[in-house]
Amino acid sequence: MKNKHLILPVVILGLYTLYNVGPLLWLMISSLKSRPDLFAMPPTLLFEPHLAGYEAVFGVGAAADSASSHGVFASLINSIVIACSGTVLATMFGTLAGYAASRFNFFAKGDFMFFVLSTRMIPPVAVMVFYHQMFSSLGLADTWTGMIMITTFINVGLATWIMKGFFDGVPTEVEAIALMNGYSRWYAFRKLVLPMVRGGIAATAGFSFIFAWNEFAFGSILTTTEAKTLPVRISSAAGATGIEWTQIFAAGTVLVIPVILFFYLIRRHLLMGMTFGVLGKKG
Amino acid sequence: MLELNDLSKRFGRRVALDGVSLSVGEEEILALLGPTGAGKTTALRCVAGVEKPDRGSVTLRGEDVTRTSPMFRDLAMVFEGFNLIPVLNTFDNIAFPLRSPVHQSPEEDIRKMVTKAAADLHIDHLLDRPVEKLSGGERQRVAIARALVRRPAAYLLDEPLSALDLKLREELRVELRALHRSHRSAILYATNDYHGAAALGDRIALIDGGRIVQTDTLATLIDHPQHVLVGKLIGSPSMAVLNATSRDGGVAIDGTDHVVSYAELGIAAPAGGQVKLGLWPEVIELADHELAGALQGTVQASEFRGLERVVQVELGGQTFRKTVATSFDATFGRPCWMRFPAARMFVFDGETGVRIGKAAPDLAKR
Repeated sequence: MKNKHLILPVVILGLYTLYNVGPLLWLMISSLKSRPDLFAMPPTLLFEPHLAGYEAVFGVGAAADSASSHGVFASLINSIVIACSGTVLATMFGTLAGYAASRFNFFAKGDFMFFVLSTRMIPPVAVMVFYHQMFSSLGLADTWTGMIMITTFINVGLATWIMKGFFDGVPTEVEAIALMNGYSRWYAFRKLVLPMVRGGIAATAGFSFIFAWNEFAFGSILTTTEAKTLPVRISSAAGATGIEWTQIFAAGTVLVIPVILFFYLIRRHLLMGMTFGVLGKKG
Repeated sequence: MLELNDLSKRFGRRVALDGVSLSVGEEEILALLGPTGAGKTTALRCVAGVEKPDRGSVTLRGEDVTRTSPMFRDLAMVFEGFNLIPVLNTFDNIAFPLRSPVHQSPEEDIRKMVTKAAADLHIDHLLDRPVEKLSGGERQRVAIARALVRRPAAYLLDEPLSALDLKLREELRVELRALHRSHRSAILYATNDYHGAAALGDRIALIDGGRIVQTDTLATLIDHPQHVLVGKLIGSPSMAVLNATSRDGGVAIDGTDHVVSYAELGIAAPAGGQVKLGLWPEVIELADHELAGALQGTVQASEFRGLERVVQVELGGQTFRKTVATSFDATFGRPCWMRFPAARMFVFDGETGVRIGKAAPDLAKR
């Protein structure tokens, strides 16, 4: 290595990466192992890949008709629908509320903003039972609608705060210029301000999606069969016939991939979002 | 044309505007001159309708627009800091006012008008650039072009030349003047730059602490300052203001035993003891050698400006600045001699700063 002073940082970052990526690689490798390979001691690094776990998850091949496989695949669909809808709704409401909080003065604004944030401070376990009662009596328990509502609720507070921050970075002159030249505030918001905060919207959607996708507490108590999400499904994969390890690992891998993909796609916007406060101020 | 009547605005406890009344004539440039934080921007924003005044009204073409949305006020404004919309390129930024639902024009007319406005401000070569690629001076010119592309009832310009270097600023002042001759619209021009206000303003309104100090032509401001702040805001160097005490049938400059009689000053004996004596530096006779019957002071600082020199003179613990010839011996600490023509002195109240006596009758009401 040419630069000696680079050795220590590289070692530290390498260890940190191993600590973070190691379990993920382990999960992915294990998901491809057959049952004997999985329990071999010492662990085998060279093995013949098996797709039984994935077949079970997606309900294809040998596992096409098995009851459990249908459950995993359905949960994956549930998770996709619920997380995406919740993300879209939370980002949309958060954007509108964040704009209002950034631009307008209204009664008890400070208290309102604190209340909005406080929805994220409550441990879900503390209120789960009551949500269960509420959702059951409203017929929302174990439905997509109910879970999409919950996902939106848990994210809209943070989305409002993040978006308020981004709107605060946009000078109010933008709307002033638009208004004085004969445009409506709504036009200014849609055509001028929103494009200026698209990095912020991407960041907000990113965070919301992660929280929605990984949500476990509410999913575990509010869903039973129809709307069961993938994290909940995986945790309950230990069935009467024993623990289906390969299936759990395959499902786990499937659970991780959308997050990686999503962040890969919006990574440029996230960077823009982070530098926006600096660049946006310049006239 | 454009009138501000008794506008007041506070932000929390801070008073930004305190009963501001101004009137801009049909084809007039009214310069609003004041230090940073005096309330210039707030006044312009209230006129624009982007800020709501707590009290008072704004009249445009004889019509009360205080409660009219900025959309329908028919004003164009150049803001102090942020002006260009980053999601539009230079052309679209200038064309922005012409494409709105209220002022819509056909696209070919827009092209002509934008090209004309850009040519007027020498930015026609920048039209297809994204605005992030423009320098500070170019951005300000684009902002001015966007304001000038339309013919509104009045223009509001908030420090439009502040980001330019001195040479460009002087050039653009001349160009703005020329443009105004062809546009002939009312312009309210806020600035903290005395030279800009003097060069562009038909009249100058002086503002400080959210209050209008005096509104007049530059000549009247110099001949009849109504408040000591006029001396602070006008001139370069600004007025020499010396604390003085009224005693012995005259006014004695503090720190000296020089007494100017009330008769010489043309005023009646003021009620309070403390007054301020104001003199434009240009009328002070200052020499680096002894003058008969002159007061003696000290050179405290000197600034060489090539063809002239600005010296700071200390007299009895008080200072003032004056432009002198380069031949003047301005060595630090050297004595210098000065004579104050009593007839050209202004006397201001020591507490309120209001001019005492000698006010011309027609100016008394302002």
